[in-house]
Amino acid sequence: MRQARPYSGIFCGGVSARTGPHALPLARIKKIMKRSAGEAAAAADGGARMISGEAPVVFSKACELFVAELTRRAWAATLDGKRRTVHREDVATAVHNTDLFDFLVDVVTADTAGGTGGGGHDGNGAL
Amino acid sequence: MADHHHHHHHGHPPDGPGGAGDQLEVIKEQDRLLPIANVGRIMKQILPPNAKISKEAKETMQECVSEFISFVTGEASDKCHKEKRKTVNGDDVCCAFGALGFDDYVDPMRRYLHKYRELEGDRAASSRGGGGGPAGAADPASASAAAGPSPSAASAGHFMFGAAMDRPDNNSSAGARPF
Repeated sequence: MRQARPYSGIFCGGVSARTGPHALPLARIKKIMKRSAGEAAAAADGGARMISGEAPVVFSKACELFVAELTRRAWAATLDGKRRTVHREDVATAVHNTDLFDFLVDVVTADTAGGTGGGGHDGNGAL
Repeated sequence: MADHHHHHHHGHPPDGPGGAGDQLEVIKEQDRLLPIANVGRIMKQILPPNAKISKEAKETMQECVSEFISFVTGEASDKCHKEKRKTVNGDDVCCAFGALGFDDYVDPMRRYLHKYRELEGDRAASSRGGGGGPAGAADPASASAAAGPSPSAASAGHFMFGAAMDRPDNNSSAGARPF
């Protein structure tokens, strides 16, 4: 099995025993990709789409950037609310305030509707 | 752990009818998202030490990340379809970031992919002992990084052709997409 190797200079950190040099599990990323690629292929030409081994590797780093960016924006919403705990609604606010994240509007709206359904709810379990 | 030792010739199409047992549903639900511990760890690294993260916020972030992967993969898959290719590779993913407005991700991800291919090329060369295999036959030169990470895809002629076309683009991050 492949050993963890240092990515000196450009990228560092995020290393754990379970996922090697990647902060996120490649097999799980690949499963998510396969579902999406399969749907797109079925809609396009009905043929199966294969995922090369390097594609999940790219996502393992890209997802870190994505989570980092969305978390920073959610934290801004948390501070606006004079709080120290990031709530679900803070993530939703970050999504709604950022054009780049338009594709997530349905995701966070469904979460909010199914959960607290409104502001003022501080009962979320914190760390 | 690396995920490069599979030998499937075909991707598995998504299951149509959802008439599965509870256990299967639970498994599928788990597979739909990245682990909450990994996602939570990344979030924590970004925030100041005194910040706390609710469990619901982590769960929402899990959903957002999966949607991000699906969103970008759909774009990459469409590009493959237009170019009559069957395998989504790293370059397709990098191009998809740019096409979907994630411009800041394109160059860092291309550099990351390039470095990964270098490492995989070294490993493939050492493990193969410099001979045999379709990759060796197709590309006798020392640059076998494109084929190394995906042995199953390397067996398909289309992928090798695509990889050959992509090779010049890998050497210059200025290239928007291969011709």
